[in-house]
Amino acid sequence: FSPFPLSSPLPRPLSQPPALSAFILHNSSLQHHSPHSNSASVFQINPKEGCKVDVVFSTERYKPESLLQEGEGRLGKCSARVVFKNQKPRPAINVTCTRLIEKKKRQQEDYLLYKQMKQLKNPLEIVSIPDNHGHIDPYLRPIWDLAFLGSSYVMWEMTTQVSHYYLAQLTSVRQWKTNDDTIDFDYTVLLHELSTQEIIPCHIHLVWYPGKPLKVKYHCQELQTPEEASGTEEGSAVPTELSNF
Amino acid sequence: MQGTPAGGTRPGPSPMDRQTLLVFSLILAAALGQMNFTGNAAVSLSLVNKVDFWRGPARPSLPVDMRVPFSELKYIKAYLESHGLAYSIMIKDIQVLLDEEREAMAKSRRLERSTSSFSYSSYHTLEEIYSWIDNFVTEHSDIVSKIQIGNSFENRSILVLKFSTGGSQHPAIWIDTGIHSREWITHATGIWTANKIVSDYGKDRVLTDILKAMDIFIELVTNPDGFAFTHSMNRLWRKNKSIRPGIFCIGVDLNRNWKSGFGGNGSNSNPCSETYHGPSPQSEPEVAAIVNFITAHGNFKALISIHSYSQMLMYPYGRSLEPVSNQRELYDLAKDAVEALYKVHGIEYFFGSISTTLYVASGITVDWAYDSGIKYAFSFELRDTGRYGFLLPATQIIPTAQETWMALRTIMEHTLNHPY
Repeated sequence: FSPFPLSSPLPRPLSQPPALSAFILHNSSLQHHSPHSNSASVFQINPKEGCKVDVVFSTERYKPESLLQEGEGRLGKCSARVVFKNQKPRPAINVTCTRLIEKKKRQQEDYLLYKQMKQLKNPLEIVSIPDNHGHIDPYLRPIWDLAFLGSSYVMWEMTTQVSHYYLAQLTSVRQWKTNDDTIDFDYTVLLHELSTQEIIPCHIHLVWYPGKPLKVKYHCQELQTPEEASGTEEGSAVPTELSNF
Repeated sequence: MQGTPAGGTRPGPSPMDRQTLLVFSLILAAALGQMNFTGNAAVSLSLVNKVDFWRGPARPSLPVDMRVPFSELKYIKAYLESHGLAYSIMIKDIQVLLDEEREAMAKSRRLERSTSSFSYSSYHTLEEIYSWIDNFVTEHSDIVSKIQIGNSFENRSILVLKFSTGGSQHPAIWIDTGIHSREWITHATGIWTANKIVSDYGKDRVLTDILKAMDIFIELVTNPDGFAFTHSMNRLWRKNKSIRPGIFCIGVDLNRNWKSGFGGNGSNSNPCSETYHGPSPQSEPEVAAIVNFITAHGNFKALISIHSYSQMLMYPYGRSLEPVSNQRELYDLAKDAVEALYKVHGIEYFFGSISTTLYVASGITVDWAYDSGIKYAFSFELRDTGRYGFLLPATQIIPTAQETWMALRTIMEHTLNHPY
């Protein structure tokens, strides 16, 4: 990791390094089933030929900067290889991380998130998260964390070499009571796609229990341009245990 | 819905629980005029303890207005009904009114008469920014003036701040923010920068030298209609608000409407697209206003167009991979600017030409500027890299503006030292 800014130019079409690292993190968060292994801060990119990209980044906890203790920020160093095949979405991603906080601690934190979600008062009177000024109420933070996790799956499903997504805003949330103690909620997100600058509303239904695979169902509004994949086509990677109907 | 009720005690705008507070009006019907108030006093003591009379009982046949907390609603209704007292609900939920009033009061507080109470670490509405501009110009009239360069599609003024120490038609530097209305950090950065310029003039040798020889122009709200819309209806609106007959979708991407590679790759002919380039180059009044102003002026040497987000500093071209003739110089200057920026808060920026760093985009501001002879044409993408994106927390406004200033200053200094 070099402390000095990197000059661009990357071979086309992978000219959007921040987007790429973001989506890799989306995927790595899924691999660890933990919303806390998130958020790239620094990275280097050594692009290979064609549609393979190597990314190096570090992960940090999803905690407001002001609450981070000294040195608490960085969780671990990760490297990832991303392979797009035939311009299709859902690339294969191989992530390895070192110096992550130990599994037990991560499990504890996941369970803490789970308890916070269960304690939320329903019906949730949510307008937007973050609000229009970028503020997230600490009480609502767990909702955001989980929504980000679910959204990252959706974004991975849609990401191609040229389409890169971000979660712009969460615009509605509804949590369901469950018989089996899982977290079950419906929410609407606005995704921002970088190359077209489009805002894409998606409806996502997510079911989660700490330690168990995430279940995600979603439907995104039709994109403007026809060449974007819609998630119903075959992807580049082998399907994971994450389900989508 | 009633406005301020007359008489009686009135709740002040103090923080209240989110309880529905109803205001009941009891019409004492003639038949009920026979009701013995004294007799009822004993019974209605329990009522009196629960409600807040805004118009207390005076005479039979006169209405009584009272505020009822939500928790007592059922009891009160039952009481009234069992005593045959007709009632109607004047205000269903006072909290809503209180909130609105508080909002209005806060709003009027914000439209201050001086800039010293203006909060640089908050996001502001169009009215607040325009009000700040007037105060700012008044307070610094020795070097700042306001110019209206045109009107937006919805007929809002398009304003530019001019920073000048005199002379006629000094070589000039152009800075615009807010060409895409959802990029709120850019307007906020522009405002802070304007204030920084007047604060540091006479203190910062580099800035003072720049202003001695050159003028600086800042257009803070390049897309006022879009900006108003991000406050009123759609926080993520990007384009302007132009409407054309027979076209179902609204708005043109103002950063695809310039006369340089217009209509090429990286712009869209679909009016519903976020990168719709419009029917023709400069068709949008917001773009035409700038083109006319800069062209008529004739002596601009640098143009900097500020966007968010991605943390990048870029130079032309966006429309193709072809390098500009002074590519090496711009590369080196961008590198220096980004290093100066990094030194402030450790934030990393990518830099390079637009087409190789971000994406191919046609009909953009900086391509037009460069083709018009402005050698130092730069485009910023401010914080962050996607975690908050357009919804950058207000706490990051000042740090962003501080670091961006160092990059701007680097570019302006280079422009000063390389006259052409």
